[in-house]
Amino acid sequence: MPAGALGNERDVREAYAAHAGELYGFALRSLGDRGLAEEAVQETFLRAWRAGDRFDPQIGSLRTWLFAIVRNVVIDLGRARATRPRLVEDAAEPAVEPIEEVLLTWQVEEALRRIGEQHRRVLLETYYRGRPYAEVAAELGVPEGTVKSRVYYGLRAMRVALEEIGYES
Amino acid sequence: MRADRCREWREWLGAYALGQLPGEERAALEAHLDGCPGCRAEAEALLGVAGLLLLADPERVAAPAPRPPAELGERIAASVRVERRARRRRGRLRLGFALAGAGAAVAIVLAVVLLPAADEAPPTEHVEFGSLPGGIEISATLEPHAFGTEVHLYVHGVRSGTLCRVFLRGRDGATFSAGSFRYRYGEDSRAVLSSALDLSRTAAIGVHAGGRTFVTPVSGLGPRAG
Repeated sequence: MPAGALGNERDVREAYAAHAGELYGFALRSLGDRGLAEEAVQETFLRAWRAGDRFDPQIGSLRTWLFAIVRNVVIDLGRARATRPRLVEDAAEPAVEPIEEVLLTWQVEEALRRIGEQHRRVLLETYYRGRPYAEVAAELGVPEGTVKSRVYYGLRAMRVALEEIGYES
Repeated sequence: MRADRCREWREWLGAYALGQLPGEERAALEAHLDGCPGCRAEAEALLGVAGLLLLADPERVAAPAPRPPAELGERIAASVRVERRARRRRGRLRLGFALAGAGAAVAIVLAVVLLPAADEAPPTEHVEFGSLPGGIEISATLEPHAFGTEVHLYVHGVRSGTLCRVFLRGRDGATFSAGSFRYRYGEDSRAVLSSALDLSRTAAIGVHAGGRTFVTPVSGLGPRAG
């Protein structure tokens, strides 16, 4: 078994400690159900362990590999759920977002969580809440130019965070 | 110094990428971008990131990141342990297939289920595939595990070398593979397989062999469904 493979229980535990949180976050975001998200994470690590000798750290990180697996698991579980009989026949079909879009949305939200609080704050206030720079600057007690530069460094930090979590432009 | 001049312009690039720069400043910055490939490349990169921000829901970002329950890690480690043991056992049993002989055609049949006494919520469930063509017998014992369900499958009387693929079907209709094995002449051929589907959520077990599929219902009355 090559170095870095999930060959034994200890490897699985280490991989779990490092990546279960974000795998769970993604699964929950995709499936919208805690029980199903747990099932997805469990199935992901089991599949990773079963195929442990196929993981090659030369090709990509463990994180990338696990995300490729969880993506398939989420698709499988989503399909299984879609075939379940519904209680009310006429109930509107729940909107099913394509998995790539869910993944991308999750990546952007996860990247926003990862950047520094100061950067996140100015992006939330100016971009999402649409507040003027002067108002945000007064509230934070900093010059307006500082808000402007935080927006710039915030976007740069977003770019780095997105790359870290596997976003490919 | 050009680098210093650029530094000032660059701090405007964030607001520019988000469409927040007032008209005059934007015009001045765009004039600079026309003549500065470095700043232009940076602007393009930030425009790409800014375009993605639309996707995010700020309310969800503000909420604490969801965490999996503390015991999930233990559950997964336990599943790995159980599955590894099952694999070893399966390896031994496969070696133990005995030689004997019988061949028969295979057809779709309805199965008779022998249900265990429901009030005892037994840990395992035994099912027999009934009304099979002459000479063929198939039965299975299903055992609940943390990883899903362990399936002990007994086959007798199909042509030697027949590939048998086993699956469990969930109550929601989803099919989970339990793996495959090749039947060799044997009077007591028993394969041990495993599937990720919980026994309590299993509605049926199926065997695909010789181009035919046999399916028989499973009560799923494992201890958890008790």
